[in-house]
Amino acid sequence: MKIRKKIEVFAFRLIFVILLLGLSLQQSCDNYSGQKRKVQKDSTIVFKHFKLANAREQFQKAIAEFEKENPGVHVREEILPSNTNVQHQFYVTSLESGSADFDVFLIDVIWTPEFSLAGWLEDLSDLLPEEERKQFFPAPLKADMYKGKLFAVPWYIDAGVLYYRKDLLTKYGFSAPQTFEQVVRQAQTILKGEKRADLNGFLWQGKQYEGMICTVNEIISGFGGHILDDSNRVRLEDIEVINALKWLKSCIYDWRISPRWVLSADEENTRLSFLNGKTIFLRNWPYCWSFFQREDSPVKGKVGVTRIPSLPGKTGRSTLGGWQLAVNRFSSKKELAKKFVKFMSSSKMQLRFALTVGTKPTRRPLYQNVELRTAQPFIVSLLPVLENTNPRPVTPFYPQISQILQIEFSAVLSDIRPIKKALRSARLQIEHVLKLEKEISAISDDK
Amino acid sequence: MLKKTLLFFLFPAILLICLVTLFPLGYGLVLGLMRKMPVFGISEFTGLSNFLFLLKDPRFQQSLWTTLKFTLISVPLELSLGMLIALLMKEKIPGNMLLKLTIMIPWAIPTVVSARMWEWIYNPEYGVLNYLLKYSGIISESVNWLGNPHWALSAIIIADVWKTTPFAALLIYAGLQTIPAELYDSAKIDGAGSFRRFFYITLPLVFPIVLIVGIFRTMDALRIFDLVYVLTGGGPANITETMSVYAYKLLFQTMQFGYGSAVSIAMFVIVALLSSAYIYLLHKKFQLLA
Repeated sequence: MKIRKKIEVFAFRLIFVILLLGLSLQQSCDNYSGQKRKVQKDSTIVFKHFKLANAREQFQKAIAEFEKENPGVHVREEILPSNTNVQHQFYVTSLESGSADFDVFLIDVIWTPEFSLAGWLEDLSDLLPEEERKQFFPAPLKADMYKGKLFAVPWYIDAGVLYYRKDLLTKYGFSAPQTFEQVVRQAQTILKGEKRADLNGFLWQGKQYEGMICTVNEIISGFGGHILDDSNRVRLEDIEVINALKWLKSCIYDWRISPRWVLSADEENTRLSFLNGKTIFLRNWPYCWSFFQREDSPVKGKVGVTRIPSLPGKTGRSTLGGWQLAVNRFSSKKELAKKFVKFMSSSKMQLRFALTVGTKPTRRPLYQNVELRTAQPFIVSLLPVLENTNPRPVTPFYPQISQILQIEFSAVLSDIRPIKKALRSARLQIEHVLKLEKEISAISDDK
Repeated sequence: MLKKTLLFFLFPAILLICLVTLFPLGYGLVLGLMRKMPVFGISEFTGLSNFLFLLKDPRFQQSLWTTLKFTLISVPLELSLGMLIALLMKEKIPGNMLLKLTIMIPWAIPTVVSARMWEWIYNPEYGVLNYLLKYSGIISESVNWLGNPHWALSAIIIADVWKTTPFAALLIYAGLQTIPAELYDSAKIDGAGSFRRFFYITLPLVFPIVLIVGIFRTMDALRIFDLVYVLTGGGPANITETMSVYAYKLLFQTMQFGYGSAVSIAMFVIVALLSSAYIYLLHKKFQLLA
């Protein structure tokens, strides 16, 4: 009995202590946010961006320089994980609640229409005069415009490329492939000649996720097709799209140049396979190049890069990727934020990031820069690919459209749904989504 | 008087339940009756249209079917394996202590971590599973466990069974401890073999515990999210998309709060129905025992 009482007393004390602790924690949180608010009042702006590989030092340098040019101004970095879905979710939830916790942020090229329609981005049209806009690659600039206004400034651009094993191609007397048919023939010949069970012919991203849409989008454009045409009509049931999916499927099931595991492959595991010398052709983004050229890379000096293949007579257009600088419309320091965007997107900063981090500048004149030409010949060599990119559907409803396409394309590539049936179902679902878009933009026009 | 005091003491608990359970549930139901996409400023009352759409939404039906398949295969597997391991733990065999200590490891690892681990085990190029199967000559070509529509769900089920069998084993083991040893002794004297002793003494007496573990596991399995999200993200071709993953994608990737809530409410109803069936069974069983 006595022991029980003791336990009871102890339990009460414990609860009391926990409550006290909770209260004091609450208090200190309040203090913290109070401090934050105070700091926000003066001239500190918050720059939110994801963790860009090898860029830590450059970001700090750039910020120090901006602070020096603008005495009294402080820029605080806040870093998000590099997973794009996580970033999208973060921005949507915090902007939805009107958060002013950050002023400048980096957004993926596919988000601009959605964020602009939602009214979360500050109009940046006056930041770039008409004359200056001509410097930029047209595709990302167009993706950053919504209803004639510029809502984000392209900061760096990305586009899919085809990596190939120069040494293997030379050994069999081939040059870099230009057409789909050449990719198949070269891969088959080399696979047959090398007799290595662990060698893959052609790797691409085929997992059910955004990266797969990028691959398929490119192949479709190489066949001359479109997912949406310029007047936003769904063109999925065109013969070009059907042929593109047939070709990708045949790579797996008929010619067996793509292993079955491409169906769960993303950027990283395909990059690793190529890096370890187990792959002849790889579709991926330009970031892989620096990994392939490192001192300890098994394929150092054996890698070539070419544009995405196409049908003879057509030019394959790579899927447009890249990141944009935008200003939060709920920010209380928009003028400072705009100044920072102007600074970061300037030729000088873009050149510096290109030289040190390897990002691809969005201003075309930089590709003539002597310093860049000598230090980063690879980036300069991408110019023809970057000039002619193929954006994914530019609409505020892209996230929904992408989900529909991911499911249907994945069903086709895993061979569990006939191509025509899947494309028809995708078309009907996307048309439903686009109908909603029309209604909504009509409402927002009225406002 | 007593009743008043009782109410007084119960008040904090009731308040807490209202705040964290009833309010969100009610709010979810309200959202389910609306077309709400806050990103685009759409918020309108649409009555039952979300639920009517749900009835003919092929994606929802597929996710429901996937979830049921997952539950119906994984839970019985976990219960029977858990039973076997619990029986092993009860026997006084050498290494028994080590077994008891190590058996809990899978359950102790956070699911996301163990999912990443399984992702590597299943990896078609470097995975240990393909290596072992190829080495022992069972398969000649690597299988893409998570990318192959015929294998993906089974691969997820295996990972789940690995993780949760220890939970079942531990609870059933606790149940086994409560069976008096005299019962076995007298059965032995009557000449009952070990199978008879298992089916006539152990199983009936431990059954209520198995049922309770079954409830826990069924509810967990019906709302399976983390393993699927990490291992396949619902692919390939959406055949591993469970109801929770679908609801998550609707709510947080495409921000359709209305329809996403309708899916969540449907999930809640299904789980509630199934668990009440269990509780009814349990109730009957205990009455029979009493």
